[in-house]
Amino acid sequence: MQETDLHDLSDDADYAASIQQGSASVMMTRSGSGKQSSSSEPEGAEIVYSKDNVAIHPTQFASENIAGRLKLIKQGNSLFMTWIPYKGQNSNARLSERDRNLYTIRAVPFSDVRSIRRHTPAFGWPYVIVVLSSGLAYPPLYFYNGGVKEFLATIKQHAFVVRSLEDANVFLVNDFQSPLQRTLSSLELPGAAASVPNGLSLALSSNESQSYGNLDRTGGAISDGTSSFSQNHGRQRHKSNDPARDLSIHVLEKFSLVTKFARDTTSQLFRENHGNGFGGLERKSYSHESVDIPRKASKDEEKIIDEHPVPPDPIEKLLDKKHDLGEEAATNVGTFELINFKEFDKKTLVWGKPRQPPLGYEEWATFLDFEGRVVDSNALKKRIFYGGVDHTLRKEVWPFLLGYHDYDSTYAEREYLKATKKLEYETVKRQWQSISSEQARRFTKFRERKGLIDKDVVRTDRSFSFFDGDDNPNVNMLRDILLTFSFYNFDLGYCQGMSDFLSPILYVMEDESESFWCFVALMERLGPNFNRDQNGMHSQLFALSKLVELLDSPLHNYFKQNDCLNYFFCFRWVLIQFKREFDYDKTMCLWEVLWTHYLSEHMHLYVCVAILKRYRHKIIGENMDFDTLLKFINELSGHIDLDPIIRDAEALCICAGEHGAASIPPGTPPSLPVENENGSLYVQEDEVL
Amino acid sequence: MASRRRMLLKVIILGDSGVGKTSLMNQYVNRKFSNQYKATIGADFLTKEVQFDDRLFTLQIWDTAGQERFQSLGVAFYRGADCCVLVYDVNVMKSFDSLNNWREEFLIQASPPDPENFPFVVLGNKIDVDGGNSRVVSEKKAKTWCASKGNIPYFETSAKDGFNVEAAFECIAKNALKNEPEEDPYLPETIDMTGGQQQRSSGCEC
Repeated sequence: MQETDLHDLSDDADYAASIQQGSASVMMTRSGSGKQSSSSEPEGAEIVYSKDNVAIHPTQFASENIAGRLKLIKQGNSLFMTWIPYKGQNSNARLSERDRNLYTIRAVPFSDVRSIRRHTPAFGWPYVIVVLSSGLAYPPLYFYNGGVKEFLATIKQHAFVVRSLEDANVFLVNDFQSPLQRTLSSLELPGAAASVPNGLSLALSSNESQSYGNLDRTGGAISDGTSSFSQNHGRQRHKSNDPARDLSIHVLEKFSLVTKFARDTTSQLFRENHGNGFGGLERKSYSHESVDIPRKASKDEEKIIDEHPVPPDPIEKLLDKKHDLGEEAATNVGTFELINFKEFDKKTLVWGKPRQPPLGYEEWATFLDFEGRVVDSNALKKRIFYGGVDHTLRKEVWPFLLGYHDYDSTYAEREYLKATKKLEYETVKRQWQSISSEQARRFTKFRERKGLIDKDVVRTDRSFSFFDGDDNPNVNMLRDILLTFSFYNFDLGYCQGMSDFLSPILYVMEDESESFWCFVALMERLGPNFNRDQNGMHSQLFALSKLVELLDSPLHNYFKQNDCLNYFFCFRWVLIQFKREFDYDKTMCLWEVLWTHYLSEHMHLYVCVAILKRYRHKIIGENMDFDTLLKFINELSGHIDLDPIIRDAEALCICAGEHGAASIPPGTPPSLPVENENGSLYVQEDEVL
Repeated sequence: MASRRRMLLKVIILGDSGVGKTSLMNQYVNRKFSNQYKATIGADFLTKEVQFDDRLFTLQIWDTAGQERFQSLGVAFYRGADCCVLVYDVNVMKSFDSLNNWREEFLIQASPPDPENFPFVVLGNKIDVDGGNSRVVSEKKAKTWCASKGNIPYFETSAKDGFNVEAAFECIAKNALKNEPEEDPYLPETIDMTGGQQQRSSGCEC
């Protein structure tokens, strides 16, 4: 067996060259430069394709893009793909070695690849998304120097690839099944991972190769003795760290800042601030609460734990640690609590802050200038994030949160907008209203769409007084708006779950046209949830799996071992943002918190993590399989206490920091689709394969 | 583990949105009907203990979202199914026309080892509506289709008043049991059909 070293390229001359090149200039136009150094590749492995300046975009900030080299390597009959980010790239100075490790693709065999989707936007760089048979996908790979066509052509030479009948931009790898099969979306079972032919590919593929922490052991155990691949793999892993430890360091660093800040400040305020609700005691008691409550929640858990030992929650350990240190700081310095709340806030808290009362009219007025502009939208978002909005004020505030109103619009402009948008709404509405029954008879799509909407509106929140009773005009309005939307966005049409979103919006806005436009704004971001190919759902569930991996690796490992990595048990949570999990009022509270996009656009995913972590003892302790877990999650509906969950989610989001953000691929809803500001610089060279 | 596995019979209910999948499941398991069910998002299941002779089985009945767009989720939910129930609304032609698609989609996604002989049961639901006056799919038409697909057992039901629901699910359970790879040398020959109404069904050949 060859001494392969396909993934650990740190001592590879070729890799070193790429580092140099990378640091010289990211945008330097070079392509196919890897071939000359193929002699440095392990014996028996041949680089059949190499492309520089292929990048991933972990965030929407161009400065955080990570460029690297994409290669296809042929060894025997197998084709592997690697993507190694450059080291020491100027623009990436902020990114740590671990950020790179998180994304590095180390020798994934094409036997584990299900499909490759090519995107060639009119503006911006072309990119591909590689989807594994496990259903997981790598983040989009952007080809700064083109070469997508060559990439696909090379794969075609060495692996079995067919073009999807459904979508000319989807290339199915190893697809020997019927054409019907090919029409299935890329949502797939992680069960496929179990059918991977050998331990080697299992250890190397399925995305976990990018991860770190406890998986080291798992990976090692699975691939033990199978080949030198796995050993190298393990070696590589040593460079990455235990997420819990890392997070502790991360948090402790921040903590030390706080402590330093505390020491630098005089102690006069200690007693005054003692009881103000934001003092150390409050935080302490919360930390207790968050650590203890999940255990107390179910008394029989204790004995269950005897049967199935539950690995400790890394974040709990962290909180314990910090809690200890907190006391220490208080006793040694006596000044921990004196920090002004606003100052402290900047230094990052690990505990979620106590919820504040909702934003009321008087306070709202202070956010507006005399013409009605929101002066400091960030301050407003933050205020709403921590307390929500008084119900009577929602009608005024939600259009901002949803993006229907601009924060710097004036009262007059909003009134004008309302009038013009009403006319526009009526125009779209007339499009379907003018369809006669004769015409409808010959318009199957319309009839079906209308039928679906008719069926759903009469079973949307009917137990809620606003929609109850026979011939309720609000139910009709719900139908009219959805039908009009299905004409306004004919491609997206109507999908179940939309009525769940619209119902509270209509209840809040109390106006047909205004509700419609708020709903349109919401669908700008969440429309992908309802896409035919379910891509938006796929990417969110994938991001969720990465966040759990980051924030609770034992739980992630548990899901992995139990074939639960598809996270379909969270499907309902994500699709309609917990609408079915909380009562009507609580749902509205949660939504306005999520819609602020304060801290993260993806707070809803942190909410998922927070709920899962609350019940991790039960899930692992009772050894739930996929079915049991799905049932358990479905039955949590109506039993989740919202406020502590929001606080947990906030804490988790802060804990995860930029690692969390980097775990979420760009374009994951509700992020807007990836667009590149330098797009016009790129001349598209790839034609259809 | 092996014995526990044998005791569980997994049944999937498929059909267009609004044909009454959730209602049928609830009527059978809880003997309740509500007209306030919400559209199913994702999937859910209920279980019911059933007894054949002296053996106890757990029937796990999966209720899924009816909109085509969510079909790709099926892969996760259909696997290991022992029987598939196809439901249509006798008052909606489209829901009947969709049966073929649901059947094929199920076979693709569940990929059972022997698709030719995988047990299906068809239910024509909502026969109570408007005293049967709004009916558009005749019993004959439905039975013809069932016959053409390898004699699929057919039942006409009303989830609302519970008509024929018990009988249909007994047949479903029996077919699911037949599909289970059984280690025992013989299958139970007789089935407790208490209260089974067969007059409006082509039924199980038992």
